[in-house]
Amino acid sequence: MSSYGSALPSAARSILSSCRPAARQSPMAPFLSTFYQQQLRGAKSNNPQAQGKGKKAAKAKPKKGAREFTQRDLKDIQQFSLCDAMRYIRAMEVGREPTISKYEIHIRLKTKKDGPVIRNMLRFPHSVQTESRICVVCPSGTKHEKDARAAGAVLVGEDEVFDAVKNGKIEFDRLICHPDSLAALNKAGLGRVLGPRGLMPSAKTGTVVEDVASRVEMLRGGTIYRERDAVIRIPIGQLAFSPEQLRDNLRATIDQVKKDASGLNDRIVKEIYEVVLSSTHGAGFSLNGEFKSDDSPDTTALRGV
Amino acid sequence: MVNLFKRMRKLRSILDVTVGTGAAILPTPATSTKEFPPITRLHLTYAQKIYNGHQGARHFWRQCLPRLKYHNPSIPMTVKQTEEQDGPAALTIYFAEHASNAATLNAAKDINDKYAPAAGESEKTAVVDLRDLDWKRIWDKVRVMTGAKEVQASAKEEEEVKKLEQMAVQSVKDQERNAKIRQTKRDQERMLQEARGEVERLRQT
Repeated sequence: MSSYGSALPSAARSILSSCRPAARQSPMAPFLSTFYQQQLRGAKSNNPQAQGKGKKAAKAKPKKGAREFTQRDLKDIQQFSLCDAMRYIRAMEVGREPTISKYEIHIRLKTKKDGPVIRNMLRFPHSVQTESRICVVCPSGTKHEKDARAAGAVLVGEDEVFDAVKNGKIEFDRLICHPDSLAALNKAGLGRVLGPRGLMPSAKTGTVVEDVASRVEMLRGGTIYRERDAVIRIPIGQLAFSPEQLRDNLRATIDQVKKDASGLNDRIVKEIYEVVLSSTHGAGFSLNGEFKSDDSPDTTALRGV
Repeated sequence: MVNLFKRMRKLRSILDVTVGTGAAILPTPATSTKEFPPITRLHLTYAQKIYNGHQGARHFWRQCLPRLKYHNPSIPMTVKQTEEQDGPAALTIYFAEHASNAATLNAAKDINDKYAPAAGESEKTAVVDLRDLDWKRIWDKVRVMTGAKEVQASAKEEEEVKKLEQMAVQSVKDQERNAKIRQTKRDQERMLQEARGEVERLRQT
């Protein structure tokens, strides 16, 4: 009896093991299809390293899990034209302060889980924020200080900035540092205060620069964005914007993101996969790329409060 | 990333915006009659808390205004939430040229809503007192005063609303069933744990 009992699991095991290779064949199909698309496009067709890093690698080491963010087929999803989405969002946001409620865009990317992320700054054709306040840390009494003030920085200096921050008075949205005063900034030990707010200057984020004045100029109309978990989220317009204004901003954003994606690295392939329009209090509407549909209202109706 | 089906289920909330009480088309310059002149804008003022009868006004904003806005996208609608509990709870309706007869009959004369934007030269306003009114009654009043034509839900939409209701009922049932399953699992684990403890104790003695 006992021998029979022990034989059964082993038999089951052999059946399972015979099945397994067949089961493993299935992930091969999507990989092949993407590979095929790449060849069709003629981009990176003979780059074995890049291809090896895709789902093939995941197949060799199943413990590591998927190497790419899962992107499901968008066929079953309801998608909207820009004007229709705006009509719904404006209805959901009715009665809110039009300068406070913002349209947001969520750009979902087809990308790997590791590797570099997109991270940049963007200037919209139609400014979203009401003037951001900028603080500059640079040695006082120098040319840089004068330039920064002329460019429109709110707070400029070294010790006065440190004192203000230590007293908990952070009356600015961005902090830029000149390399000459970086040592002083690090010595002041403000990382604990500024770090969690994302204000600590570092060369990586482009907030430690020689040419302070031009950076201030740029930051005053710019919005920072970065990719998190394969999604880039950016506020893209105020609720009072007209569809045309929103379309201009949307176009600028997508162009910039595409440029960033192509500028990253030869081996990294990032593609825009889905664009979702939502707002501060509204639902998310997947866009189908059209500007307006047949039954969407006149564009003049979709602006203001 | 959120599951697509979850997202789509969530997006059914747009049905709430298109169908229901308050889904109506207000008279526009094209559809207005002599009796009901076109509406140019709406403004609602109410206080933050519900005391002194401000509840209905807020519910009206939450329930009816999105639907009105969806069906009348070109009419500006503003809402002001004040902290003055004794202040007015009022809806100001702006008519082009002249107010409708129903509006002049129903309008409250003694309410001074300082937050409402000033009427233009050719505009006439009618103020509705919303204090101590249920939001459905507020909507009835507004409909009578403006001559709004209610939008009937299409058969497809009605079907979908019904389906959603059924899903809500079913989800309560499923929740109960799942809770029961989880509870029995937890009980079993606890009993196993206790039995193991018993064995340990026996071994030690």
